[in-house]
Amino acid sequence: MKKVILLLSFSMVCAQVSFTGNTETRMGENRSGFYYNETLINTHLQYGNFNNWLQFEFSDPPELGRSLNGLRKMRLEYDQGDLSLKLGDLYEIWGRGIVLNSIDDQPIDRDTGIRGLSISYNVHPFEVQFITGKAKFAQSSIYAPGFDNRVHNYITNHNLYGLDMTYMLGNHLIGTSFLQSKEDHADALSDTLNIKNQLISGRYSYNNTLYDFYIEYIMNRSFEFEEDNASYRDHEDGRAFYGNLNIYLDLFSINMEYINYQFGALDPLNRWDIVSNYGMFQPFQNPPIAMNIHENVLMNRISHQSDFNNEVGYKIEIMGMLRDWIDFFGLYSVSSRSTPWVLSSQDYSWQKEGEKSHLPISDLAATPFRDVYGELSFNLLDGNFHIKIGAGDSYDVTELTSHTKTDTSSAKYYMLTSGQTFPLNFSYSLENGWSVNAKIETQFLSKGFGRIETLNGSTVIDTFYSDFYNDINENGIPDNDEFLDFETNHFMSISIGKSPRWSATLTLDRTNISKTGIDDSHHLNPLEEFLGIDQTKNWVNIEIIYNVTTSMRLSLLYGSLKGGLICTNGVCRIIEPFDDGFKLGLTTVF
Amino acid sequence: MKKIILISMVIGTILKAGPLSVTALPNLSFKLMSGESTSLNELLKDGPVLVDFWATWCAPCKKEMIHLDKFHKKYEEYGFQVLCISTDSPKSMSKVKSYIRSKKFKFLVGLDPNQQVAQKMNALLLPTLLIINQKREVVWFHQGYILGDEIEIEEQIRHALNIQDEISE
Repeated sequence: MKKVILLLSFSMVCAQVSFTGNTETRMGENRSGFYYNETLINTHLQYGNFNNWLQFEFSDPPELGRSLNGLRKMRLEYDQGDLSLKLGDLYEIWGRGIVLNSIDDQPIDRDTGIRGLSISYNVHPFEVQFITGKAKFAQSSIYAPGFDNRVHNYITNHNLYGLDMTYMLGNHLIGTSFLQSKEDHADALSDTLNIKNQLISGRYSYNNTLYDFYIEYIMNRSFEFEEDNASYRDHEDGRAFYGNLNIYLDLFSINMEYINYQFGALDPLNRWDIVSNYGMFQPFQNPPIAMNIHENVLMNRISHQSDFNNEVGYKIEIMGMLRDWIDFFGLYSVSSRSTPWVLSSQDYSWQKEGEKSHLPISDLAATPFRDVYGELSFNLLDGNFHIKIGAGDSYDVTELTSHTKTDTSSAKYYMLTSGQTFPLNFSYSLENGWSVNAKIETQFLSKGFGRIETLNGSTVIDTFYSDFYNDINENGIPDNDEFLDFETNHFMSISIGKSPRWSATLTLDRTNISKTGIDDSHHLNPLEEFLGIDQTKNWVNIEIIYNVTTSMRLSLLYGSLKGGLICTNGVCRIIEPFDDGFKLGLTTVF
Repeated sequence: MKKIILISMVIGTILKAGPLSVTALPNLSFKLMSGESTSLNELLKDGPVLVDFWATWCAPCKKEMIHLDKFHKKYEEYGFQVLCISTDSPKSMSKVKSYIRSKKFKFLVGLDPNQQVAQKMNALLLPTLLIINQKREVVWFHQGYILGDEIEIEEQIRHALNIQDEISE
């Protein structure tokens, strides 16, 4: 630590050294005992062709992850024309990130960086990058001991090297990648297995003024080291394909994406078990998904969780302008597993049913997902008055819990989340810098267990057991006589701002139900008391943002948060649930 | 001791943070949406550049971009350019070009899917704006977008271009 500070000080006093950086301080505390306090300091030093990045963290504890006091990340870079060298913490992306896309996503505490060396050589039209290094990937899993929402409980160590090459010929680009990682994998019995993962890919893209497309094919192989033979034996063998076609017409654009990820199919019971299963999808991969990242809060709360080991799907988006002041956006996306799954009648083990499909399947036994969304935006009064109105319908079979079959009958039990969401947003700004922004979202959400039974091809039972009760009775026990078919959620916020200095936002997040088996009571805060609302079904907060200077921003939030992706006061972020407390944030740039 | 160091560093940076220190940025390289690469020096050949960090899922960024496109067209003759750098990850990257083309925006669009350029330019939040002069110095920095910020943005562009006249449409 002292050496680093000494190095930093020495570098700063050197002539011709450019020094910039930023700090980000976040702290919060609520009445449930949730507390966090973290500061990140990034510094960038530049001297000639050399660049140096240092990141310090001081946290006790952070909002997510483990406490750290000291140097968190560092990297030294050297750039000279065609040649680029990087030594330290590497965050690299090859192609669309299907083979390698190492990220440091601090809001969700996901760090897949590689500590090592990168050498890039770029002489148009040829580009090559070699990387080598070590990585420690921390993940949260209920299959590993000590599961905690805030702190990772499962770590795998990787030793990697790889090469990526691209060649551009006019509008055509071809590329190939190879990446190998040797992994120390702790299994469910805490034995450390030595696994070798190899990924090879080829990609091609073409673009012109009317359309462009991108395709990539990936093969993955993994090997497990056998102590007895002192050699590697084959473990898994998978394939993946990704395609993207964009068409640009005068009035609108069409964006189509297709995914076919077959890194290794796991049965419905084990598909999320990263401890007992290995040699398939790797943490350093972060590929595209065939679904939309919605801007509205309520649709994001029911986002589909992609199974990168086995998912087939596509997405079609159309966007354009009906007039100079009216935009439209339409989306249709579907995905599923590549085969349905069924329980064997002999030993009740899960088996794949039929051949792999390269298109999504609507069979409930393949856990299908569907998202349809449409939106109109109006930009009026020279861009000072915005109205956005949307409607979305999503349907997601999240788990298949049982599927039995005979020659004449079948019975499927599954978990379903489906919802219809209607976001409405309008904002108006005056010439003197004052503005008002209001957001109203309504969602009708169904969540629960479904059961469907057929006999001789006809449906004989089709029932749905909702997760939601109408209310809790006076003893605080769910009143189980009153199931509701759907939950009605409302998200409302109103902001007043004075550009460029400050803005204040009042947010109300409300639901009408109680969930089975979950204690959703929380503390009554003065805001909720003032508004006279039921605090068990409402989350209210007020947030003030103040730009102290152009490079310093202060935010203060008081109240409760239900969580999810929130975009207010010009900034989007994912927020964890928070019950009656303060959150303070300060960012500075120097 | 660690707390003292931390507090000193935070206070130090806060004091240093206003106004923004004028230090030259390195000659950063950018991948453009068209597939080509460019550098900061290349972009600054004819005049200052406004760099905007955005993403397709960031609603305030999109509201701000309507105004940035106007400024790009209005002050192009002075050698001024707007470069909007998308920080979309591969999860939403395919949408960037469709969105820009459907809106008929004329400004330059860069891609920074692993946020390496954003990190070097201290873009902690979306949107973040920087005006960079021909000496590669950051002469104005702004985080977030409150409706009405476009008035301040245009003033800062005009200041960077040394335009003294009244703002006219």
